[in-house]
Amino acid sequence: MPAALTSKRYQVEGPADAIEFCFAQGWSDGLPVVPPTEDKVRALLEAARLAPTQEIGFVAHRAVSITAEKVAINAVLAGCRPEYMPIVVAAVEGIADPRWSYHGPGTSTAGAGVLMIVNGPIARELDVNAGDNLFGPGWRANLTLGRAVRLVMRNVCGSRPGTLDRGTLGHPGKLSYVIAENEADSPWTPLHVERGFRAEQSTVTVMAAEAPRQFYNQLSNTAEGVLTTLADDMRISGNVMGQPHYCVVLAGEHMRTIAGDGWDKKRIRQFLWEHTQNSHAHLKRTQRMSGALQPGDDARLRPLLVSPDDILVVAAGGRAGAFSCYIPGWSSVRSSQAVTKEVKR
Amino acid sequence: MIEILDPTVEVSARPITYVDRPRSLEGKRIGLIENTKFNSDRLLARIGDILKAEYGAAGWTMFRKHNSSVPAHDEIIGELSRACDVMVAGVGD
Repeated sequence: MPAALTSKRYQVEGPADAIEFCFAQGWSDGLPVVPPTEDKVRALLEAARLAPTQEIGFVAHRAVSITAEKVAINAVLAGCRPEYMPIVVAAVEGIADPRWSYHGPGTSTAGAGVLMIVNGPIARELDVNAGDNLFGPGWRANLTLGRAVRLVMRNVCGSRPGTLDRGTLGHPGKLSYVIAENEADSPWTPLHVERGFRAEQSTVTVMAAEAPRQFYNQLSNTAEGVLTTLADDMRISGNVMGQPHYCVVLAGEHMRTIAGDGWDKKRIRQFLWEHTQNSHAHLKRTQRMSGALQPGDDARLRPLLVSPDDILVVAAGGRAGAFSCYIPGWSSVRSSQAVTKEVKR
Repeated sequence: MIEILDPTVEVSARPITYVDRPRSLEGKRIGLIENTKFNSDRLLARIGDILKAEYGAAGWTMFRKHNSSVPAHDEIIGELSRACDVMVAGVGD
């Protein structure tokens, strides 16, 4: 006898009415949802071998306990297949981790999305896209996994746009913002291995993040050339007075160019950190740093990030096209740290 | 007919007991919680000065949070409870 589901139940005429009912209750992100019937919810719980009462996370700032039952209901709403549930669970563990610091990115006017980077075998097994149209559309896993996490934030943690979620602009990634690393083609150490996991483990990394910003370099055939363009684009982006993170996503052509020169991820990070520093004079002239210009401000440099290790480098995106992107993290130093969790199956 | 499950959490009520508010700020030690945003320290210092000059507070001490999106950390709470009678905190940009 499986454990009872304790959520409140509602009777509706049929699936079409259920969709409208969910809109009327304020449970949707603005798109139609899949009606969360008991059989569907149970299938997700069973796929992750979780009891409905199991606590997946506790968000101290909001005093909210997130149970497996509520995660599963929201994952059904989002359109997840049962086998996606372990990834959703890992991501929810990530945003409930004190290092991610839920209250800020869940609430802030600066409008963070939850960038989710999936690594390890599960990404390939569940067809989490790491290639063409990386940020969408077209892949069910990518669009429903992130949607499920956002619906948990909305329906369980109370982060509703206009009330507790006060994003001034928001961005499309707040609907779903999921990518996988292209480990099959990448010449580099995968992100999760750099962050302490084994290659055969599956993980999801959550980072509070602004929208992706594409940059062009269709000219250079060297690592330094491509990364010089990237650094020049990155230098004035996000909170230039102190970013917690950047995620740099290098797509096929740039990946091959950079790797062809023998550069690994560590060298990429170091180069970008060194070449994205701003002079105090520029920051003051452009009204980003307070205070009057002082002698020497032109030579006094402020790093964009505290450490090169604050840059997450991910190989992903289509094989063709000399484009890649960078994603500024949300807010400022110490506000929210990227967190990597193992996907347990 | 189909039956669907509620994705939201039911809020459980919990009583909160407030400390009695002082009738007057006369001679009270004021704690100011600064949230690290630009100029928040200047605004709070101004408030502290007004509470001292116009309401007779004994003085004020400012405490700086780690950042604006987290609660005041334990050291601040401990120091507040030892060294202050009332506190001013707020959220703003």
